[in-house]
Amino acid sequence: MTPSVSYHCPCLSDDPVPPPPNAPSSSYGFHPLHELFFCEECDAVRCNRCVSVEVSGYYCPNCLFEVPSASVRAEKNRCARNCFMCPNCRNTLSVVPSDPQDADDGRSLGANLSAVGEPPFFLYCSFCRWDSAEVDITFEKPTGLAAQLQKFEDSAPDSLEFERLKEHFEPFLRASSSSSAAASLSGHSHAAHAHATPVNPITAAASSALARDIPGVGKYTPAPRGRRDKGARDEISEYRSRVEVKGTKDGSNVDFMRRLEEVSQVAAFGQRWANSWTTTLHSSELKPLRIPLHSKKTKRCSACRHILIKPEQKAQSVRFKIKLVAANYIPAMTVAFPPSPDPIRQRGAGTKQVPTEGASGASGLQAGGTFPFHLALTNPLYDPIHVRLAVQRPVPPPSSSSSSASPEKARRPPFAVSLPQSAFPIAAFAEAWEYEDDEDMFVGEDDEFGGLDRERGGGAGGGKGKAVGVLERRANVTVVGGEVVVGRDAKGPLKFNMLVSYTYRSDDPLAEDDVRATPSRKEKVPEMKTFSFYTVVDLGTIIPRPRTSASEVV
Amino acid sequence: MQTPIYYPKAEFIETDTGNKVSRRATISGPQNIILGGKTIISNGAIIRGDLKRAGPGHAVVISLGRYCLVGEGCVMRPPYKTYRGAFNYYPMKVGDYVHIGANTIVEAATIGNHVEIGKNCVIGKFTIIKDCAKIADNSIIPPNTVIPALTLFAGSPGHFVEDLPESTQEVVEAHTKSYYARFQAAER
Ligand SMILES: [Zn+2]
Ligand SMILES: [Zn+2]
Ligand SMILES: [Zn+2]
Ligand SMILES: [Zn+2]
Repeated sequence: MTPSVSYHCPCLSDDPVPPPPNAPSSSYGFHPLHELFFCEECDAVRCNRCVSVEVSGYYCPNCLFEVPSASVRAEKNRCARNCFMCPNCRNTLSVVPSDPQDADDGRSLGANLSAVGEPPFFLYCSFCRWDSAEVDITFEKPTGLAAQLQKFEDSAPDSLEFERLKEHFEPFLRASSSSSAAASLSGHSHAAHAHATPVNPITAAASSALARDIPGVGKYTPAPRGRRDKGARDEISEYRSRVEVKGTKDGSNVDFMRRLEEVSQVAAFGQRWANSWTTTLHSSELKPLRIPLHSKKTKRCSACRHILIKPEQKAQSVRFKIKLVAANYIPAMTVAFPPSPDPIRQRGAGTKQVPTEGASGASGLQAGGTFPFHLALTNPLYDPIHVRLAVQRPVPPPSSSSSSASPEKARRPPFAVSLPQSAFPIAAFAEAWEYEDDEDMFVGEDDEFGGLDRERGGGAGGGKGKAVGVLERRANVTVVGGEVVVGRDAKGPLKFNMLVSYTYRSDDPLAEDDVRATPSRKEKVPEMKTFSFYTVVDLGTIIPRPRTSASEVV
Repeated sequence: MQTPIYYPKAEFIETDTGNKVSRRATISGPQNIILGGKTIISNGAIIRGDLKRAGPGHAVVISLGRYCLVGEGCVMRPPYKTYRGAFNYYPMKVGDYVHIGANTIVEAATIGNHVEIGKNCVIGKFTIIKDCAKIADNSIIPPNTVIPALTLFAGSPGHFVEDLPESTQEVVEAHTKSYYARFQAAER
């Protein structure tokens, strides 16, 4: 496994300091840098868990047709063209006539449909050879199949029941949605709701259901919606369902299971969950599915409602009108062990030969060893920055029952990390930044820079190895060396939390208007500002020492 | 920080535009193949430029953009079908910044830009892969599948797994460029 650096988003907890890396909750709070967003307004990192998402457009993932939202409702979020999914294997189905002219499995849309064929037509899976005749679904014409299938779906008892439910609650829903719309218009203080996505009655019903008081459950408060029309809800008459819910008393499924000969006779969860309604357990009775639509999404900062991601309208465009990603604001970091001596060619005298255990560092972090590592930081800003690193002291893993043997020993951290303690600079990002010019991107002369910081270097562990310090500065990249001393009895993952603070000039006189081109923050007064964030550095897994020395432990 | 990937200099032919083509790759019908520049064709890869539409003369059968990688043992073969009684091959077009993992077989019609295809995959005939899509290792993509932009597909048959991050384009571009930079001739 290659060593990695992940970035912390503090949204899961009130504590800005992340849990120790060996805590189970740790992995949920850290993300790869390229998955994070940045809110300029809040001056904070945001992740996919703490942004609010809105659909900005729908499209069919198979025919790529962009579906207008009005049709999305009528067509029940599925493609209304000739796109169907095999209920057995989820492959896309093709429409074939009863007299296939040749063995070619042309499943392409349109092309084959024009070819004349004998009715009845059916849907065929070229991957698993399932066909819709197995479930008695055939068509007289090869066109308008989706509409015919939707007629089936809509006549299902579940679907009819849902329609009746909606009808029944319609008056209440209308009342509640208009009152919430009024609230969002009047409540100017809440910019949050000013954007007011058109509240559809279902959403309104869902949110008012969520907002209801439930004894013993914390109250969900979306945002003040003004006084709710309490009367309307009470006036609703009782609803009587027409579908008898069978519940578990019906023994037919149990019977079916008893006579089961092969597991594949039972429809797997994956085969059932794309259905809108409860479906049969018998895989032989599964029906073809109209393909569910996909959506493009706009993402907002959930704290201040500013847009962080806004895609272009066109479904298959990969461009964004707004894209505020963390990688444009905070330094990117990669961690690696020094390259091992190259078997084919030695890169000249400049190459510093790392100690043998260091060279094998990527493959083996032996307990009891000392390993240098390199941390490369890349500055995305158009201004130079100064970076300071601080390691959160590693804590011993939650000790098992055997810890009683020697509590003092158990409390000792399993490893110690040394990093340069003083701040170091990273040059500004410049446009003309080409890989071609980077012939010498490999760490060469260690000592030239390493000497500067060496005496000040050394962190929690105090192991002031020669490797600790600034190793290289090239374009907008600075490489620093760190060192980890692994305890003799250490085991498990070698991961540590690292606080990264960088100082930048908060004004940017060069570019005032172009938000996208200037990652720098815009302020009137030039001043130095500091931004800090946590990362977790994962160097790999410690290889325990052979158990031969067990006697000395006891 | 980035470890170079060395190859013996004699093993690859480097073109004026920086394409690096292994001498141990099989390039059939090279006059029908276009490489955009800085594209690497690895050892053991097979590119079938000879499978062209019936008729005389040249035709572009397979075109690859810039910064592409055709992995070791890959087979790139143009798709074919019988249409109105006539058997024909159809051209395959691959965009820029496309990496194809080792031992993958590709019979796609079009592959967009910034696409990552894993190793040991089969990309069926006439598959259309849009920009910034990714196909996981060991996936089987049935013929005629459409893979939307910014999505991850995996499995057999390959199906949608998740949406990819908004910054996929930048990540893939940086990765493919750095791979090319790391791929260096070792002079003896
Ligand atoms: Zn978050
Ligand atoms: Zn469709
Ligand atoms: Zn199937
Ligand atoms: Zn914000």
